[in-house]
Amino acid sequence: MKTVAVIFGGRSAEHDVSIVTAISSIIKPLELSKQYHVEAVYVAKNGAWFWDNKLKDIKLFSSGAIEQFIARTQPASVQFDSGLTLSRGRGLTGRTQRKKIDIVFPSMHGTYGEDGALMGLLDMSGVPYVGCSLETAAIAMDKVLSKQVAAANNIPVSKFLSFTSREFAHKQSAVLERITNTLKYPLFIKPAHLGSSIGISRATTETELRNGLEVAARYDDKIIVEEAVQNLIEVTLPIIGNDELTPAYLEEPLVSAEDFFDFDTKYIRGGGKKTGGGKKGAQGYSTIPAHIPKDLYQKAEALGLSVYRALGCSGIARIDMLIDSKTKEVYFNEANPMPGSLYAHNWRQKGISTMELTLRLIQLAEARHRARQAFTTVFNTNFLKQF
Amino acid sequence: MIRELLSFYSWRMPTVLAYMLQNTEYHPGTYLAWFWRTTRFDKVLYRRELVPTKAARLLQLALRVGMLLQIAAGVGLVVWWRHDAASGGLAFGLALLLAYPIVWAHLVVVPLFLGRWLIVQPRQRQAIETSGKIFAAFKGEKIAVTGSYGKTSMKELLYTVLSEGKKVAATPGNKNVSISHATFARQLDGDEDILIIEYGEGEPGDVARFAGITKPTRAVITGVAPVHLDRYKTLERAAVDIFSVSNAAKPEHIYVNGESPDALPYVQPGQQLYSQKNALGWKVSGVKVGLDGTQFVMQKGQEKMALHSGLLGRHQVGPVAFAAALASELGLTHKQIQAGISKTVPYEHRMQPYQVVPGAWVIDDTYNGNIEGIRAGTRLLQELSAKRKIYVTPGLVDQGPESAAIHKEMGQLIAVAEPDVVVLMQHTVTADIQRGLEAAEYAGKVIIETDPVSFYTNLNLFVATGDLVLMQNDWPDNYH
Repeated sequence: MKTVAVIFGGRSAEHDVSIVTAISSIIKPLELSKQYHVEAVYVAKNGAWFWDNKLKDIKLFSSGAIEQFIARTQPASVQFDSGLTLSRGRGLTGRTQRKKIDIVFPSMHGTYGEDGALMGLLDMSGVPYVGCSLETAAIAMDKVLSKQVAAANNIPVSKFLSFTSREFAHKQSAVLERITNTLKYPLFIKPAHLGSSIGISRATTETELRNGLEVAARYDDKIIVEEAVQNLIEVTLPIIGNDELTPAYLEEPLVSAEDFFDFDTKYIRGGGKKTGGGKKGAQGYSTIPAHIPKDLYQKAEALGLSVYRALGCSGIARIDMLIDSKTKEVYFNEANPMPGSLYAHNWRQKGISTMELTLRLIQLAEARHRARQAFTTVFNTNFLKQF
Repeated sequence: MIRELLSFYSWRMPTVLAYMLQNTEYHPGTYLAWFWRTTRFDKVLYRRELVPTKAARLLQLALRVGMLLQIAAGVGLVVWWRHDAASGGLAFGLALLLAYPIVWAHLVVVPLFLGRWLIVQPRQRQAIETSGKIFAAFKGEKIAVTGSYGKTSMKELLYTVLSEGKKVAATPGNKNVSISHATFARQLDGDEDILIIEYGEGEPGDVARFAGITKPTRAVITGVAPVHLDRYKTLERAAVDIFSVSNAAKPEHIYVNGESPDALPYVQPGQQLYSQKNALGWKVSGVKVGLDGTQFVMQKGQEKMALHSGLLGRHQVGPVAFAAALASELGLTHKQIQAGISKTVPYEHRMQPYQVVPGAWVIDDTYNGNIEGIRAGTRLLQELSAKRKIYVTPGLVDQGPESAAIHKEMGQLIAVAEPDVVVLMQHTVTADIQRGLEAAEYAGKVIIETDPVSFYTNLNLFVATGDLVLMQNDWPDNYH
């Protein structure tokens, strides 16, 4: 039986979301399938790696007992010995325990995980891993870069400007002037590399714009300011596949056009923002499939698939889009290379169980790995002989 | 081996033993049989926890104190031997230390034996005697419900329908032995029109004894199947016991499920059969089955009733039609009967549908424990449409020497329903079910699940919209 290491946590603002994704949507269903041996690898907020079966229990994290666990447990280390091997000292004797990993299932959101950093490490080790490659993850997690790539592929995007946090700190007036001269209110201000709607603000006045930029600058070194799409319908499309793509249902979050989808709405109140009700967690906040006219649905689905291909996504990703319901124009908004909880609720409704989804993602990871192995990356030269 | 041994000396052993006693309703024989069958005591409390009742806590405390005293005595003897070279001190001391779990696992049943013999049984005898007088004095209809399966469902069905026009009392839940009947009798108001009394057969002579005390005016025999064969030994002995209720009422007031093949040889002249085609002279037609229930039309001469019940499955048509027909015979109007039938919903864990995730249905039939129930369930699974059908079972318990054959038949019934996936909770009967599946050339996927708790609790991860899961039977802890 092959061993899958699920890596989660990480030095990211989305650390907690990553834990829920890993335990509920990856580890449990994979263990239920009995087709793989599953190892839980937790990256603490300080960057230390831990490998233990106890990490498969959400109560360890929800109760806060993880702090004691970290304090008394020796961190694990990773060896690149023609692959990836986990290693840790155990027991009274400090005997070293090792486990060779066959496949990695990254369950990291945000920085150092979803942005390509972890994928780079895994590429170096030569182990198959689930989800987008280093390059795609890096592009997808950069809201500016991903829009530029999409625009270069003739995919409509809303009007935007970008700045570095340093630029904003040193030339605040110039930045504000450039924005107000180029873009029309209302505006959205976002940290360029964060997901889960962290650090996002909406501005209708210059004061709100300044405050929004200050907030975003605290989270990221790159900020994007976008013009809001009018008559807005916000939709998102989870997709799986490498070459042959399978879209889930187009999903419509339950928020008003004046509002936006922040972290609380997504993960804590579960859509209660507008109605005051909604289910707990991430599953009660949207309509699946989106209630939009069939032609618009098809247009958005096609655009989502085009973005997935243009960015070079593989395994899984979620493409967010904005629709102007009057002009029927669909815009690419952003891509998410590791959707929270894999968007399992949507796949389930599509007829793909969470267990089946995780198994398919592993198969896709192995298929991509096999394809990459076929490429020549080294060759012999006489170059060194001249020294 | 080491784990097994260590589990025996776990600090939780007193709680485990108290739990085993509680789960066997403090029945020493069943408890001891479970104790001797168990190899891993650390797995006993895996599914549930001890309910901290007064009795359970008292037993737990007694076990803890007793075990500690024995350990202390053992240590004392060893120390004595070491200091004074007391002859036999080491051997006795070690024996006490090693044997404490086994000693207290058995000592704990002594007060139960004594209590049952000296206090409980005399009190119960008196209560049962008193109930006999109450039942004898009762002037209304007394309907006995007996059979190998479907008793509780039939009782609830009759209660729901007849209550629309009569004052009815029925034995609660699955309380179906003499002492429960006695408790039921004590709680009656005395002005009821109808009593419905469930008889739970367990060993030869049970049904005749219950009938002797409750003196029914009518009786329903819901079916005969190989259940409790560990005590009845043969199906015939079980059938004879069930049909002994015939002696208590007029033949025309004995109603037998005509769809139970094993019951038919015992039907006596004058007794009435009911089925999904007719019941007490009413013809049944237009049967439609779905996840929202069952509907059909009943006709007798010029009288006609369209009925819709929330109960699931074609096998429910016969019992529902019978309840409607009996209600009519007992004077209820069509309107009352229709209202009563419309109120019938699946009983807990008996063909009870629910959505585990939106659009993925589970039919919970985990209280079903006999081959006839399996037949009905698999037929329903075959009849309903779904994107993917999943069948889940651990098999049946108490099937006696016929177990292998019954489980092979079960496998064949499952195969006929053509589920896409069959999940078998691994146990001693799993191979027999698999033999049945193979014999019927089942081509779907078979999963052998070694961790039922994990499967049941994570079912939401296993299914998706469009799935239909039928879960039949769930073995109690003392069968694991």
